[in-house]
Amino acid sequence: MFSEKIERRKFIKTISSTLLGIAAPNILKVRPSLGKSEKTPNLEYRTLGRTGMKVTTVSMGVMNCSDPTVLHRAYDLGINFYDTADCYMWGRNEEMVGKVFQGKREKVFIQTKVHPNIEKKMRASVERSLRRLRTDYIDVLVWHGHSLTEEVSDRGLFEFMEKMKKEGKVRFAGFSSHSNMASLLREAAKSNVHDVALVSYNFTHSKGLREAVGLAAKSGIGIVAMKTQAGGYKKEKIGGLSPHQAALKYVLTDQNISMAVPGVTTVEQIEECAAVMGTFFTKGDLQSLKQYHSFLQRRICTMCGGCTGECPYGVPHRDLLRLVMYHDGYEKDSLLKESLQIITTPDVQRCSECPSCSIICRRGLDIRAQMQLAQELIVRPPALYKHGSGPAAGRQFDV
Amino acid sequence: MPHKKPIILSLLILMIIWNGASSEAVPLESLIPLKDVPKGWALIEGPRTYTKKTLFEHIDGQAELFLKYGFQRSVFAIYQNRENAQNQIELDIYDMGNVLQAFGIFSRFRSEDRPMGIGLDSFLDDGSALFYKGRYFVMLYGTEPNPSLLKEWATKVSSRISDHSPPPKEIGYFPKKGLKPGSIQYFPEELLGHQFLKRGFQGVYIDKVGDKVEIQAKGENKDKVKAESKEFHLFVAIFKDSKEAVNALKIYKDHLFKKGKIDSRSPHPFGPNAFQGEDPYQGEVIVLQKGFHLLGIAGFEKERGAENRLIEFIKSIE
Repeated sequence: MFSEKIERRKFIKTISSTLLGIAAPNILKVRPSLGKSEKTPNLEYRTLGRTGMKVTTVSMGVMNCSDPTVLHRAYDLGINFYDTADCYMWGRNEEMVGKVFQGKREKVFIQTKVHPNIEKKMRASVERSLRRLRTDYIDVLVWHGHSLTEEVSDRGLFEFMEKMKKEGKVRFAGFSSHSNMASLLREAAKSNVHDVALVSYNFTHSKGLREAVGLAAKSGIGIVAMKTQAGGYKKEKIGGLSPHQAALKYVLTDQNISMAVPGVTTVEQIEECAAVMGTFFTKGDLQSLKQYHSFLQRRICTMCGGCTGECPYGVPHRDLLRLVMYHDGYEKDSLLKESLQIITTPDVQRCSECPSCSIICRRGLDIRAQMQLAQELIVRPPALYKHGSGPAAGRQFDV
Repeated sequence: MPHKKPIILSLLILMIIWNGASSEAVPLESLIPLKDVPKGWALIEGPRTYTKKTLFEHIDGQAELFLKYGFQRSVFAIYQNRENAQNQIELDIYDMGNVLQAFGIFSRFRSEDRPMGIGLDSFLDDGSALFYKGRYFVMLYGTEPNPSLLKEWATKVSSRISDHSPPPKEIGYFPKKGLKPGSIQYFPEELLGHQFLKRGFQGVYIDKVGDKVEIQAKGENKDKVKAESKEFHLFVAIFKDSKEAVNALKIYKDHLFKKGKIDSRSPHPFGPNAFQGEDPYQGEVIVLQKGFHLLGIAGFEKERGAENRLIEFIKSIE
């Protein structure tokens, strides 16, 4: 029985040493997964920081969804938090959310976004969002895409949000970020003016981010995780593996995360994600993530910036890493072609003549192997072979 | 790795070929009006170009949608009114690779039918203008409401686009009768919110239910009559071959068997590769396979009328 103490300790040890140096999840109980996604999920709620809102741990990123059916399904599954933005499809995304939840407004929480600008424009943006969402209040309004610590502690932005709150248009405020997140969260924890932070967070991220998330959560900020699936890999590309539930569960093992908002676009996806609620991170999930991770390790540079400047010859190695990602990961050789255009011959020459590679990836990406794959892609461009027969073919599971 | 020197030579040749091929495209920046702008206006920022890698810097997560639609490159500029610095117009021109993708992204942004007669189709409201022409999708946004100025600007941009590709032929598949103007949309994947339907088109129709109620409710509340009108969809999913289409039909049927209802009539009046059922979210549906297409009607109320509309739709699909 895996539930026996010794086995559990062994399991904890295994996962701790396996997953990228990220601390082991603190909920490591074994319980069978719901499996079939058509079953009703066991709803699981957490409190969104100081907002006090009880949100479903698996919620929905509406961004690229354009069929109301998916939202209706999410609602029927019990999901109660929806993340959209003023600019998604020029407001059509908000319109869809507004239309679907008209008459059900008090049963859901809606988060949308605003861009820093002069007050007149920001106010107009909020008013437009309210009209499209068919509501007179926004539950959470976040600044869209902060990347500088100065933005996080900007008093002017804070004052605007305070006005919106006093006018009853906004209940809680925060920011979203795709980059420099650990610094931003630390700053936010100090400045104490944000209720919510929407950040990219998944099993490939560093211990530093995890700690910053903890710090921010302890200061009362509700942490919403996006980009939880670490990429858009299709099942068939990774040997039928479906790591999405495992990846989502992994994020939710961090109790500092109030909820995840995976971006979903189909009924099947939202059912798969919702089924994660009420389940625990299992041995099978660990195996699934290990395979996914080893798949990513050999292919995916998450552009964390940790190795910037490490090549003593100044080769833009990140551009070369992208070549492999575009070909093997995204299956977008058009992207590969475009990347090739910015790589100069001297860059590649410097790299190919180097007897060793001193770049060290903090996430275990074999940089030298990646560089070799990139060079093979350059020499034998994708037009000359079909997918699955290129330089990286057949190597995904040789852990 | 000195033994790799021959590789470098091959690399050089390939890069020359590749760069040569890409230079055939029209420089996107040339579509931005620099001096030929409406009187009293001046370019104050840009042109700034964005690639697939940098589009996120310009439009954040929204870039994912553009990438799904085959985004190639875009160029952005801001113009300012000389008398009022706050009065600005932002211009985005997106190269979507082909006319189908350009229509697709246009169809996702247009919120209703408010054409301005520019490009292959267009949309104009107080503060924004959209159109697509050939492989290009153009967005104009004004900080002050001024539709006539936006239209003037759109005309200038359109005149610079020399791609005269016709609109996607699939738009013509949709019967005109009852079609809600400006409602046809193209999805590069996940039609109707289902993974198994892949890419395709859908259009919204206004059901005649409203008319019937109006007759019955003469003299009563007109608003109620209006609210009774019902919308339904015609859709066509496009597959690689008929085998894929048949497989998708089976998946759809299985899906409804588990989560909705399936009409037990067998064979269905539309043939063996057709079924009728009730989708929990789309309502009544009839779905059938024709060649490499899967087409259908969803959300209808009157079976006879729906069947007639579907027959017309089937005929128009090659």
